[in-house]
Amino acid sequence: MAQFSGCPGSRMVDFREKSEPTKEEATGKIQSQLRQWPIQLHLISPTASYYQGADVLLTADCVGYALGGFHPDFLKGKSLAIACPKLDEGQDIYQEKIKSWIDDAKINTLTVLIMQVPCCMGLLNLAQQAAREAKRKVPIKYVVAGIQGEILKEEWA
Amino acid sequence: MEAYLNRSIKEVIKEFPPVEKILDEYGIGCGPCAVGLCLLKDIVSIHNLPAEEEREMMGRIAQVIHPGQEIQIPRTERKAEAQPKELKYSPPMKKLVDEHVLIKKWLALIPEILPALNLESEEDRQLIRDGVDFIRSYADRFHHAKEEEILFKYFDEDLDMVKVMGEDHKTARNHVKAIVDAVERKDRETVAQHLTAYRELLSQHIKREDEIMLPWMDQHLSVSQVGEMFSKFLEVEERMDSYQKKYEDFISRLEREYRKKGVNHGSIQRLPGLQDG
Repeated sequence: MAQFSGCPGSRMVDFREKSEPTKEEATGKIQSQLRQWPIQLHLISPTASYYQGADVLLTADCVGYALGGFHPDFLKGKSLAIACPKLDEGQDIYQEKIKSWIDDAKINTLTVLIMQVPCCMGLLNLAQQAAREAKRKVPIKYVVAGIQGEILKEEWA
Repeated sequence: MEAYLNRSIKEVIKEFPPVEKILDEYGIGCGPCAVGLCLLKDIVSIHNLPAEEEREMMGRIAQVIHPGQEIQIPRTERKAEAQPKELKYSPPMKKLVDEHVLIKKWLALIPEILPALNLESEEDRQLIRDGVDFIRSYADRFHHAKEEEILFKYFDEDLDMVKVMGEDHKTARNHVKAIVDAVERKDRETVAQHLTAYRELLSQHIKREDEIMLPWMDQHLSVSQVGEMFSKFLEVEERMDSYQKKYEDFISRLEREYRKKGVNHGSIQRLPGLQDG
């Protein structure tokens, strides 16, 4: 088979055969942990009440579909924004909004949750750049999810 | 075996001395600990050895306790599988580790200062007073206060590890008090004795914190608690704004002076985590 040479973020992978039910599969209705609207980074106001002093989760769009335990494991107790560092336009506005979270909303922490594909690192870079430009300092954690829902990395930036 | 896992390390080692050497071989240096209240099972859990190494170590300990018997070894509780030994701290823990570096530079200077120390000279008495000021202001009021008044509050005060660290701080303060009394009496021997004991105590204490306690605490803090602690540390730093620069300058000045005197700074490099310069 010829080796794939295109963008790793667009590479086709079929893992249907591996997706057998496991003992961890949820059997009941899973409670949503979302506690705000809107969530898209262009639509949110960084100074909205639910961001004030909050633990904020900034997640790449695809993460919510890849991680089976997204709501209980990552979203619970946090305020959310989503974005795609590859496809979204106006990312300078994203940077300003992240800076405003830190300086104006005085968020407690920022967790950046991205996929393993290389382009997703852009979201972490954006957050780190905004944090460097902000007057306040906050701890930034980043988590990298694999395309089959596994956690590949979780550390403080 | 289960019963021994629930006993303090001091009791286990007292009854079975070879256990100390076995633990030491796996990087668990609890033998010389002055307090020794931690339970064997907690010690094994906190060090989070790779599963294979833990099984092997526990097997050897079981053979010391129950020689020749086939023993079922219970697996200790752990939050996550052990990772390779590269330590990554959360931002507030990283601040504590960075502050340790300055304290270790002071500890490394002590053996350079002591041989020529002459307490008949006002200059040398002032040097010791300045060293005591560094210990009391930077190491204790600034750094240990962050640990005792902020970090430890996130954990059960009866946790053995927290008690041990708190005891070390108290012992260190007693050494400092003895140094202060002795320097005014020009009692060189007592100053040297307590400064050396302080150095040994703090060197071990910092090593335990950097390698064991802080990583373990990091694993047990939520993201929200890390953020809260980071803010509280920043408040302390703002309140004591001048401390970091003042005491960095003090240590740099001493290092320059002792370099000029041709003192070999090998001992500085021997303390873990210190780079020369």
